[in-house]
Amino acid sequence: MKTKARKDSIRKRRKIEEKYSWDRMNDAEEERKSHSNRAIIATLVVIGIFFTYMVKLYEVQVSGYEYYSTKSDSNRIKIRPVPAARGKIFDRNGKVIAKNISTFDLIVKKELIKNKEEFLEKASLIIKLDSNQKKNIIKQFKNRRLKDITILEDITMDEYSKISVDKHILPEIELGIKSRRAYTHPYATAHILGYIGKVSDSDIESEVVKTQEGMVEIGKLGIERFYQNILAGESGFEKLETDAFGEVIRTIETKESRRGDDIYLTIDLNLQKFIYKKMKNKEGSVIAMNPNNGEILAFVSAPGYDINLFTKSISQKDYNKLLQDKRKPMINRAINGQYPPASTLKPFIGLIALDEGIINSKKFVSCSGAYKLANHKRPFKCWKKEGHGPADLSYAITQSCDVFFYRVSELVGIDIISENLYKYGFGKKTYIDLYNESVGLIPDRAWKRKNLQQPWYPGETLNIGIGQGYFLSTPIQLTLATASIATAGQTYTPHLFLRSQDSKTGDFINYEAEDNKFITPNVDHDSLDIVHHAMWRVTNERGVGTASRLKKIGNIEIAGKTGTAQVYSQDAEKGQSSKKILQDHALFISYAPFENPEIVVTVIVEHGGGGSSTAAPIARDTIEYYMENKKTVVSNNE
Amino acid sequence: MSEYIRDGVKPFSGLSSLLHIDTKLFIAIIIITIFGLTTIYSSSGGDLSLVIKQFTRVTIGIVTMIFIAQVHPDNLKLFSPILYVFTLVLLILVLFFGVGNTADRWLDLYFIKFQPSELMKIFVPLMVAYYYSNKPLPPKTKYLFVSIIIVLTPVLMIIKQPDLGTALLIGMSGAIAILLAGISLKFFIGSTVGGFLLAPVLWMNMHDYQKERVLTFFNPESDPMGSGYHLMQSKIALGSGGFFGKGLFNGTQSKLGFVPEHSTDFIFTAFGEEFGFLGVILLMTLYLFIALRGLSISVKATDNFGRILSGTLSLTIFLYVLVNVGMVIGFLPVVGAPLPFMSYGGTSMVTLFATFGMIMSVKSHQRILRK
Repeated sequence: MKTKARKDSIRKRRKIEEKYSWDRMNDAEEERKSHSNRAIIATLVVIGIFFTYMVKLYEVQVSGYEYYSTKSDSNRIKIRPVPAARGKIFDRNGKVIAKNISTFDLIVKKELIKNKEEFLEKASLIIKLDSNQKKNIIKQFKNRRLKDITILEDITMDEYSKISVDKHILPEIELGIKSRRAYTHPYATAHILGYIGKVSDSDIESEVVKTQEGMVEIGKLGIERFYQNILAGESGFEKLETDAFGEVIRTIETKESRRGDDIYLTIDLNLQKFIYKKMKNKEGSVIAMNPNNGEILAFVSAPGYDINLFTKSISQKDYNKLLQDKRKPMINRAINGQYPPASTLKPFIGLIALDEGIINSKKFVSCSGAYKLANHKRPFKCWKKEGHGPADLSYAITQSCDVFFYRVSELVGIDIISENLYKYGFGKKTYIDLYNESVGLIPDRAWKRKNLQQPWYPGETLNIGIGQGYFLSTPIQLTLATASIATAGQTYTPHLFLRSQDSKTGDFINYEAEDNKFITPNVDHDSLDIVHHAMWRVTNERGVGTASRLKKIGNIEIAGKTGTAQVYSQDAEKGQSSKKILQDHALFISYAPFENPEIVVTVIVEHGGGGSSTAAPIARDTIEYYMENKKTVVSNNE
Repeated sequence: MSEYIRDGVKPFSGLSSLLHIDTKLFIAIIIITIFGLTTIYSSSGGDLSLVIKQFTRVTIGIVTMIFIAQVHPDNLKLFSPILYVFTLVLLILVLFFGVGNTADRWLDLYFIKFQPSELMKIFVPLMVAYYYSNKPLPPKTKYLFVSIIIVLTPVLMIIKQPDLGTALLIGMSGAIAILLAGISLKFFIGSTVGGFLLAPVLWMNMHDYQKERVLTFFNPESDPMGSGYHLMQSKIALGSGGFFGKGLFNGTQSKLGFVPEHSTDFIFTAFGEEFGFLGVILLMTLYLFIALRGLSISVKATDNFGRILSGTLSLTIFLYVLVNVGMVIGFLPVVGAPLPFMSYGGTSMVTLFATFGMIMSVKSHQRILRK
């Protein structure tokens, strides 16, 4: 049964066969063979290509497995760090001085905003934005790392509810809650705490702080910097599976963050506030330290500044204002203020002379109001024009006689003086737990040749003898040196850290005294007694001691030494004389109670005038406040 | 008619011969479609509606295949010119009334939307086979030129759409048909070289996105989020599958959207990610088997039409596999070419089954020569 189509087909073929006089049988066989050959070639080509492909697939899937597997994981797995809450900072009595507060920001998710100009226009309708704020918003738009844009920082719920009335204009805005560092007494504790700020490249490279994944803020200065690694805790993370569009599909793994440990400082906040109140309109520094263990009870550098400004992102304007402030609030005077110690150095010069056997308690120098040095035209004047008459060491300290110390330092010589002053901690770091401590300056022959290309002149030794000239010391160095007198040479590294509390276990970890890097002077007890007693006379021998007019504190006796540094300020030399700049620095070193010292207080008031009139009363009040409140401190502590 | 004893229905060959179905080919195809359905289900994240849609198409395809397998090759031959010219007209209509996103490839007939270019994938080999069926082989130069025109006319129209990928595939299937018809290899190589010389002309007439694809092919890492992104992600997916694969439903690259078009053009990637190299070996071997089985059918065919048709079609299917897989492993530029029997899509699925209907028709209707 043949269909019509087949019949047609056969007929057609026959026609063609006739047309080409083509031997069908032979040609059909040949065509079949030719096709078979081509099919065989095709088969070989197909198999060849098949194996080429399989080799390539093997390369990708089997040889490349590790490589591509890693890539596949990094494609889908995103690790989102969970920053740890920062540890709090307390004073020695458990009063909080640095904490974390929740703040509300007005934010908007970048992805929701398509037209920036339109957004800004609408935003200005409901929120008053000045040109700076607008610029800041545009800046945030450009910052690719930011996902959210902060329109207003730190708003109250009231403010938010006012804004949300008009929310229909800008439905994209929302309230962002974040944690912010807050300092309870920003000015008074500024130079102790320092501040935190955004992690910078230099922080990441720094060896003293450890940065973690996801860490946003880091201690920049002060305790916040020094104990960053304790306060920071440990960031956790969330291992998330995301799709190609960044949407989170599920959480694969989470590691909780560990809150930073709390830190208790040696500072007594009340004492700190008490002193800061007295100092805030002055420039200078007050340090109160327990000489028996190096605990710093108060650490004031005035003026302070608002460290809370830094925890919000401080504006360039505010920052410049702080930097350009003539009172230089950003300088930590307690460790970076380098002052001539003036007469407060005299006890140490006396001790060196006694120790070296150059003088003894019976050595008298007659003071006629001035000292004549051989080959020196100008006589060296004593502060008391009419002179002190014959003075021994004790009297010379009590009366702060300059001529006595001119003579003694001439006898001792600069080499022995400079060499021995290092033993009291001058000219080197005290290793207080703050970074960037200044070392002051102990000048000697080598120093002068190197830095001024001049030989040492004998007259300069005399100036060093009364704590003037090139000699410079920081308040913390003076405090430590004074402590060495108060405790008869037994000194401790000054520190602000009292203990930390583990955020997990609640265990306290107390301050561990490191090896004292401060070389205790090997002072003879008899020599020490002389100076000790002389310093008692300074504050107690009525009419004789330079600070004997101080009001008594009950039955507690203070020992001390006044100092008045003559300051030749650069401004004055240029003729831009201003009364204040020409005024001397007032200094006072002290410890109390005399018999069994518990507190060393150093006071420096820049351009404060006389040490006895300006500095000594502050030290006295500090000691009084400390002594009066000590008992409650102890009971609180238990 | 003395040389023909009867139509090639063997005794006792059961249902498959009754339906004119080649069981071996059919089983291979069914396994591949099952792979395809599974991969679509998995990489779409368990979207059963896609699977049902695709299954419907497979069913329509099988019905079409069985239907075409019943048609005697001589009748296929008879209809060849009509089908070819009809589809050419459709292509012309597409140029004027076509719809589509980036290129107007679709013809919207209100009740059905399809790509006439897909039909050409079958009808060009069919037409070439028809044309050579009553000519002495190897063909004379005159006939060769006619056949080249038969191939190039639809190719140029499809390039115009523009759909370079399909155009090239059809062009190549036409070339295979001409090659199988028996033109001298010398001539074939010569024209291939000529084709390469024409490449710059082609380049000048290419659309920007097409140029970009070709450029990306040569340097995929240059633009990881752009066109090269597809290829990179595709390789990552395949590579991360490893030897045993990530397992069903665990293909993160495809499921999470890193591999684009994971149900259509890049379904091989999704399959390779979940089933690993082992699965890939199996799948590729099935394709190889289909191609070789098709060739063997063509060798056994009793006339030139059957030989050229079944040979060309089976080689063309394999070519599609090579183009698609070559694309996902970076052998070839990213062109929109579906993976036969796997990729999600209606026209291509039905066309492919129709193709095999023809091959089976050739096989089951072969006339056995009397010795």
